[in-house]
Amino acid sequence: MLKRKLSVATLVAALVAGANFASADAVDDSFYPYRDTVPEFPGLSSGMTINAGNVEQFKDILDPAVYQQLKDGWFEMKVGDTTSFDLHPNYVEATRKSAGQVSLGDEVGQINGFVAGRPFPEEPLADDPRAGEKLAFNYKYGYNWGDSAAIYPFYWKYRDLDSGKIERTLKFNFHFLNYKHRVIQEPVPEFEDNPSDLFRGIYVQVLEPFDVKNTQLLIHRSDNDLERDNTWLYLGFQRRVRRLSSGQITDSFLGADLMIEDFEGYNGRISDMNWTYKGTQNVMLPFFNHNELTLATDLEEPDGYQFVDFSGKGGCFPNITWQLRKAYVLESDPVDDNHPISKRVHFIDAQTFTIPRTLIYDRKGDFWKSFIIGQAHPDHHLDKNKGSGVSIDDAFSFVDVQAGHCTTGQFKGQVDPALNAPKLFTVQNLRATGR
Amino acid sequence: MINIKRTLGRAGRSSLAVFVASAAAPAALSQQSAWDTAGFVENATFYRDGPGLSKVRNTAQFEFSKNFGKRFGLSNFRINGTLRGTYDAVYDLNDDEFGKNAGGARSFENFASSNAQIIYGSTSSPWGQSILGTGAGPGFGFDLGANPNEGLKVLGEDFHDPNAGVTLGVPVRPCDEDRRGCGLDGFTDFDTNDLRFPEFNDQLDFIRELYVEGSIPTGDFSELFLRVGKQQVVWGRTDLFRVLDIINPVDYSRHNIYDELEDIRIPQWIASAEYRWGAVGPFDDMNLQLVWNFDEFRPNILGQGGSPFAILDANSFFRAMNTCWDYGCTASNFVPAGALVAAGAPLPDPTDPGLVAADFGPGVIGIRDVNLPSGHDQGGIKLEGVYKGVGFSLNYYHFYQQLPVLRGDIPSMNAFTGEVADWDYLIAFDIDFPEVDLFGGSLDFYVDSIKSVFRVEATYTTGEEVANSLEPDLYSDTDMFRWVLGWDRNTWIRPLNKNKAFLLSAQVFGEHFLDHELEKGPLGDVGMPNWEDNYIFTFLIKGWWMNDLLSPQIITAYDYEANAGVVAPSVDWLINDNWRLMVGFNIKFGDGMGDQEFDDCRGCNPFPPYTATPAHADPFQSGSVGISGIEPLGRFRSGPIGSASEEDEFQVTIRYRF
Repeated sequence: MLKRKLSVATLVAALVAGANFASADAVDDSFYPYRDTVPEFPGLSSGMTINAGNVEQFKDILDPAVYQQLKDGWFEMKVGDTTSFDLHPNYVEATRKSAGQVSLGDEVGQINGFVAGRPFPEEPLADDPRAGEKLAFNYKYGYNWGDSAAIYPFYWKYRDLDSGKIERTLKFNFHFLNYKHRVIQEPVPEFEDNPSDLFRGIYVQVLEPFDVKNTQLLIHRSDNDLERDNTWLYLGFQRRVRRLSSGQITDSFLGADLMIEDFEGYNGRISDMNWTYKGTQNVMLPFFNHNELTLATDLEEPDGYQFVDFSGKGGCFPNITWQLRKAYVLESDPVDDNHPISKRVHFIDAQTFTIPRTLIYDRKGDFWKSFIIGQAHPDHHLDKNKGSGVSIDDAFSFVDVQAGHCTTGQFKGQVDPALNAPKLFTVQNLRATGR
Repeated sequence: MINIKRTLGRAGRSSLAVFVASAAAPAALSQQSAWDTAGFVENATFYRDGPGLSKVRNTAQFEFSKNFGKRFGLSNFRINGTLRGTYDAVYDLNDDEFGKNAGGARSFENFASSNAQIIYGSTSSPWGQSILGTGAGPGFGFDLGANPNEGLKVLGEDFHDPNAGVTLGVPVRPCDEDRRGCGLDGFTDFDTNDLRFPEFNDQLDFIRELYVEGSIPTGDFSELFLRVGKQQVVWGRTDLFRVLDIINPVDYSRHNIYDELEDIRIPQWIASAEYRWGAVGPFDDMNLQLVWNFDEFRPNILGQGGSPFAILDANSFFRAMNTCWDYGCTASNFVPAGALVAAGAPLPDPTDPGLVAADFGPGVIGIRDVNLPSGHDQGGIKLEGVYKGVGFSLNYYHFYQQLPVLRGDIPSMNAFTGEVADWDYLIAFDIDFPEVDLFGGSLDFYVDSIKSVFRVEATYTTGEEVANSLEPDLYSDTDMFRWVLGWDRNTWIRPLNKNKAFLLSAQVFGEHFLDHELEKGPLGDVGMPNWEDNYIFTFLIKGWWMNDLLSPQIITAYDYEANAGVVAPSVDWLINDNWRLMVGFNIKFGDGMGDQEFDDCRGCNPFPPYTATPAHADPFQSGSVGISGIEPLGRFRSGPIGSASEEDEFQVTIRYRF
């Protein structure tokens, strides 16, 4: 009798365990896609260069914009090994704990049962009409910069694509803080004092040049995606905090080619877009080891840190290496008919859920802007970033092909909670920091 | 280390990471930084229709700051400073208008006076040679040797004709060239070098800012923040006009109301303490600020008579009146000729229907002195926070009125008898700055359905004083309610720019006098010259092209009751990170100062019965019957826009940053 009971218990346990194993497989598949094998493509090898001379051979693993830019000789692509960018084990573990418990609500932007980790680790299904939205949520709640991080400092250069003339150089500090769904830094999983149920704060301070010095931007993003972001701008020359309308979120930020909504690939609400999963493909993406690059020598930091350098047409393209990686192609088109674009096509890195490539189309549907966010492996970056499991945003290129202009970004990303005290992310801090 | 990791396991590693991060936090926060320095040199050249050059201001500004890390028990102990020096060459390049050669000899209107026509060959009489002058009484006439007819303008002559109203003579040369009207120490007594180099004064205004600050952490979100030194403390959420932003006085002489407040607030020595709770209870952000302005009191700088930017032209009036008190003065159209005939004056034409000018001796009418409060005791409190996305503040501030009030309660000489007394309704004043208590609040919020941000401020003040010709001392206090509603929206105008939206920003300012007094006198209105209710509208449209390197904008403002407006189109071109060029116009429209009149107290009968008019039922009873003119109180009805109606300008500013 006892034996029979044990057998039944063992069977039930085995069934439950089997279910968990199935979820665990999905989680492992999601976070470790290269544990057994890496993607390959005929003729592609590490160390080679793709350029105008051989680009046709690799058209199938290039997004349309990069293909055209290589074909036109705007830059040459150095190929590196495909490497695993393992996210922090706590994030993976949080995903494992929540696996199968998260679902979408009735409206776009609603999510149920989410605590932390990747909400939908399962492979997107082509016949799932809301697969795109799930990918968008995976991005929103992605490990991204971890629980908090800073880009400290962050240089933007405005360049003429044809002449290469650098028109402006802005120096920023960017800070990011997750109030909820935290997995590493205390408090985990969230701050207690969070009356508006904020998910994330972004704080930006302009350091140079003089005319925009002390300009500061603060974004409060609610965990409830249906609630509008609260965004404030402190203008140094006015010494005043001004609340921003959503129109300013979708407008050029301080004259750059990108808007606030473009930050990190997409910096808005899920519910502001219609999301469409367009498929999964292996594509060349800008993933590399920072310390193995030939770096810039003009912006050296006191600690010896060197930024990613740029070259190519107009100096608009980062001197990095690219990897063949698994990506989800996700299309987003704005709900608001008055939005300045018609759609974005994101190439989301399947392992990290960062958005290293985005193609942006104008209101007429013509290709307008090309966004590269170079991803550096944390273990080949600053010492403090090693072991953080954060895919480090390390360089960006934002090319407006219609205007013949670009904005480039050079990051010193630091996963360091000491740089991101919660008090930075307050309206009052804008006033206190401003002069 | 590996063993430790193995021992602690995954959870332990997380804790260790947190511990390490926590331990690292104070170190990172307490890091010193290098000196951060920046600055610019700038030339601003303005050309005014009529006078020509009105500003050739050359500025050098240098800013510096350094974070010393943890010092004196404070984290992030920091020093900030801003030094600014300017040289306005207009006083050298256009000294015929604004410098040592400004003004000249002036004559004063005797409206429709046949006697003036007979005596002077016109209806104007020279300064100090009026029909009602020396010999008419102990208080008439003055020494032309000490108070000559040179370097003068007729009060308001740049804006309007006398129109049968009272006018005075204004010395318009800098005080080192002409001391007349410069007796109001610390208020309007600027020498040439004070005007050329306005920051280099006794208050060391070249130190725009110099303060130390630091915080005492009290929690993850909370801290006590302290800042002491010369600084600007900015309250409120509005542009151009101030409702809550009243802690620092403002220098309107730099460019009237049109410069950024950042550049024209007069920094004060202030201590502020803020307790920042961060998120607390239902509030996302909560902050309590205590402010103590321990500096000496500084009023708003209104410009000096003869300087190119004198808001409301008020200090021309003050300088003229101070000249009257110290030296004597001529006042146009002051007395009906018939009254002189009735008093027995031997005028050639006893049937003269006109008005005649009068020469007053020193100590009869005018402004005797300015009583600047010592200050050191201005302060207030602000509670500010964010609740469900709505930013709010509640404010209280105790301060001294930054605009002057004329109190007519000083002893002066009866022009007819020589008796010295505090005469009711006599235009003999001291300038004062009463204590004011302000209670206010503000809000800002976003309305998604119309993609608009709204800003609201409201204040209620007690203790403010304004001119009031119903009162024997010609002023009274009134409670005031002021408010502003601002609206901001980014709007696409794609035919003009398909790449970037335009910023549209509109504001309505309202002002209500709760104790407003205005009565109908026999000959006109008597009471407070200010409008009981008035509204000023502002509108800004700003666009950006060439990645924000080129930014044209149009600012307009319209004063409803004054029916006066201004439009200021400009283009700002960031040539590169160092060079910036701004070109613009400032054009006024609508009514000017000449379109506003108010009781000028010619009918106040301060020396009864000598000054009684036929409209005075009892010639021994003082009080105004409401004879009106443009000067001196029409300016309060014209407001800052209407009273600058003749100051259309073309402006070029070029700046190099380093």
